[in-house]
Amino acid sequence: VYAQNEAAAAMSGGKPPFELEAVFCAQYDRIARVIAKVVRNHARAEELAVEVFLKLWRNRQAQGEKTEGWLYRTAVRTALNELRAESRRNRYERLLGRSRATPTPEEIRATTEEQERVRAVLRDMEARQAELVLLRSQGLSYDELASALDLNLASVGTLLSRAHQAFRKEYMKRYGNQSGSE
Amino acid sequence: METNQEANDSRWVEERLSTLNADAEWNPSASDGLARLREGCERHRRRHRKWGVALMLVAASSISVAAFPVTRAFAGRCITACVEETSRLFGPAHTAAKLEVGATAPDFTLTDASGQMVRLSDLRGKPVLLNFWATWCPPCRIEIPWFMEFQRTYGAQGLVVLGVSFDEDGWQSVKPFVESQRVNYRMVVGNDELARMYGGLDALPTTLLIDPQGKIVSIHAGLAGKDTYASEIQALLAGHPTAR
Repeated sequence: VYAQNEAAAAMSGGKPPFELEAVFCAQYDRIARVIAKVVRNHARAEELAVEVFLKLWRNRQAQGEKTEGWLYRTAVRTALNELRAESRRNRYERLLGRSRATPTPEEIRATTEEQERVRAVLRDMEARQAELVLLRSQGLSYDELASALDLNLASVGTLLSRAHQAFRKEYMKRYGNQSGSE
Repeated sequence: METNQEANDSRWVEERLSTLNADAEWNPSASDGLARLREGCERHRRRHRKWGVALMLVAASSISVAAFPVTRAFAGRCITACVEETSRLFGPAHTAAKLEVGATAPDFTLTDASGQMVRLSDLRGKPVLLNFWATWCPPCRIEIPWFMEFQRTYGAQGLVVLGVSFDEDGWQSVKPFVESQRVNYRMVVGNDELARMYGGLDALPTTLLIDPQGKIVSIHAGLAGKDTYASEIQALLAGHPTAR
């Protein structure tokens, strides 16, 4: 009896609610691209983007007016976490004497030295500032930044310029004035 | 109001960040993503359903246990046993029952050297001198000849002397001692449970006089005088003539 019920449930309720799919269709491309800025493997970026929407589905409070801001914030956080986790993995693998996973041809083609530098700086910056810098570069307005990161609109400008300064300082500390060329 | 330096910084950072823009040829596949999303939602639901079924099973089994008197009684007994065992294990020593004159002496059943059961409540009707002691305790050893004498003198009038040893190795120490001293009254070996029932027995010897109704008449923690015991026993025998 239970198996029948389950089959019926799977048939009737197997699809996620319509709203989620609508939001997904509208935002997926942008969210995947934000993540792909930080995570160089495109397939992994797509996976993480889907996870962001699954989190949205489970989190009722995020559903509603503020969904878009929430999606952006969660996307950059997820991406930065992945970046840090990846760097930890690489370090341990080096420590254990294993060579790191061979990059795919796509990754080699897509990754430039400058990108690696920018990612390294983002990875080691304070998370909050890295989020701000990334979302701004994605073209979010001050309004949108305030809503996505739960900030006071009046302080967004100050915080953003501090974050930019911090980024530049960290970059200079690591690489001097040699801005990479494509 | 950005200063030039700030504007400069911002422009510079934007330039660096712009290198991260994903290459133009890449297009995230929304249809793959949607399929993955549906799969994820379904997985989540299934997990939830599993929990629901588990909860229902737990509820159903508790209801069926509660439905029949026999299973209910059994479950009740299990719970009581668990609670008792837990409180016994974790209850500190000072939660031991308080020993008071006038209270009924807690009952116990132990075996003597010959393997015979000795139950305190079987001695109702007779005054009892209950002595907690140990072979390694010098004051206890001083008292033992007195108690042997009491047993000889007052035994005919009904007095029962009962010794309870708290030697850790039990009969191994007690038996040779009892034999060498030719102890003429009954002797058993106690345990922690008994000590707890009798207020923890922080001091050895501890000696109780119990009247024929099973009530505690006096408690002596530590060595008391022989005369004290003798007069108490006499009063007890006079006030409460022995049955039989």
